[in-house]
Amino acid sequence: MDFEGKYNIKSPAVKRLMREACELKEPTEEYWAHPLDDNLFEWHFTVQGPPATDFEGGVYHGRILLPAEYPMKPPNIILITPNGRFETNKKICLSISGHHPETWQPSWSIRTALLALIAFMPTPGNGTIGSLDYTPEERQMLARKSQMLECPSCGKVVEQLSSSVSKPPTQEESSLIRQIALKAEEQPVEEEGENEEEQQPSEDKPVRQRLGVSQHLQPQSQLQHATVGVVSSTSDSYKNWLMWFLVAVIIFLIYRRLFLV
Amino acid sequence: MLNVIVPRDLYDKTALTGTMGDEKQVSSTTFDTDANQDELIMQQQRRIEKEISETTALVGDLEGLGMLEDEYAGDDVYCQKVHDLAGKYKSMRRTRPDGNCFFRAFSYAYLEQLLEDREEYERFRDLAAKSKNSLVELGFPQFTVEDFHDIFMEVIDHVGKGPTFFSQKELHKMFNDQGYSDYIVVYLRLITSGQLQRDSEFYQHFIEGDRSVADFCHQEVEPMYKESDHIHIIALSAALNVGVRVRYMDRGEASEVIAHDFPEGIHPAVHLLYRPGHYDILYP
Ligand SMILES: [Zn+2]
Repeated sequence: MDFEGKYNIKSPAVKRLMREACELKEPTEEYWAHPLDDNLFEWHFTVQGPPATDFEGGVYHGRILLPAEYPMKPPNIILITPNGRFETNKKICLSISGHHPETWQPSWSIRTALLALIAFMPTPGNGTIGSLDYTPEERQMLARKSQMLECPSCGKVVEQLSSSVSKPPTQEESSLIRQIALKAEEQPVEEEGENEEEQQPSEDKPVRQRLGVSQHLQPQSQLQHATVGVVSSTSDSYKNWLMWFLVAVIIFLIYRRLFLV
Repeated sequence: MLNVIVPRDLYDKTALTGTMGDEKQVSSTTFDTDANQDELIMQQQRRIEKEISETTALVGDLEGLGMLEDEYAGDDVYCQKVHDLAGKYKSMRRTRPDGNCFFRAFSYAYLEQLLEDREEYERFRDLAAKSKNSLVELGFPQFTVEDFHDIFMEVIDHVGKGPTFFSQKELHKMFNDQGYSDYIVVYLRLITSGQLQRDSEFYQHFIEGDRSVADFCHQEVEPMYKESDHIHIIALSAALNVGVRVRYMDRGEASEVIAHDFPEGIHPAVHLLYRPGHYDILYP
């Protein structure tokens, strides 16, 4: 990787990313992350499915898109490997649970993001945008299948994680990771140059999303997160229904007046 | 299905005159069904942020208070206050209303003075150099704190060269370089958070609701673009031992712009003008 010639190394964002690349050079058994050879602002990563969950044995590959304002603005995570928890090819971003993405903190890093992703996988999706609530069987099946994945730019995904034990998260780090929530964006808002989004064609999604909501999930209940979006959209559709009902009543009354009098 | 009405004309006007402050909530927003409100608000905010950054410098040029008088022409309450302010201050410098204005205004005004004040500079440099370890001890991730601290010290070391080798002009340029400028803001946010958490028993009284000081810091202090309240100013001025005088200009009864010193009883090194939701720099 020769980024020195390509980027302004005096720029704090570039300095920071080169530092992070250096910190994450050695893969651990939990994660592997690398900037692309020609783009310091796009990384590929692989994380291990958390043990003792439906994702055990899975290896999940994805992309990290870093905004030009990084670390002031959060990185976006995009999963490539089908996993049954997050939609693939959709931007997911980090925030403090129950808050907007603006609560991303510049002192978090790519490592924080990956650890948070691992910790967040077994939490209920609750129908939030970008979440999937597949059944445990489906997730276990996808976990097994995930080992076959090969990335055109990184090669065989399963070989990336190292067997060396990772630096365990410090106590502060784990309490921090527990506060983080991940949420997909409704739609890509800013164009990030060549980062074109392929939207997944999936007609069966709306049905499947709801499937596993009441299913048993792993005992990680401390990671329950508020899903403001869902609550408000339900009440919105109720209001919508009510509105149409009233419109129908009014139309009925007008008709009655016109034809019965 | 997205149906967001952006009060564009309203926004443009206020951004140009600089009276909008950091208030980012836009009231006349309507949502269609099923749309995720959070996401829509975010999108709208991003649009507004973009417009703000295109119209206002991070830290502006020095200007006389006459500009302020023109701005409020016809508004009796404010005119009186501007008049009072003009008797006390010679000039001002506007900052971008992006939620970071207190931290940016404070650090600009203070470092500008350090260019000329060797003794105070030495005291501050010493304090700044030591601040990293105490943040790491409090549990901030060492790796990233180091990153912010390095850039912060780089700027301070430039200031230490004195006005002959590092002019006010160069400082101004650095503060308008988003990279450096935001790094300074982040580091001051961390120092503020550190102070709040170290002295959490005291600061707990200032926090409404049942949020802990640590939660408050994670949600309202450490993230960028979060507006500053009294509690931020009290904590930062205490952490650095630098006095701040804030002049309040609002719709209140008094014909004067009321001053509030943080911490009380200490000579104010930095003077800021507060208008609801926003801070600018004042020069006596
Ligand atoms: Zn790859």
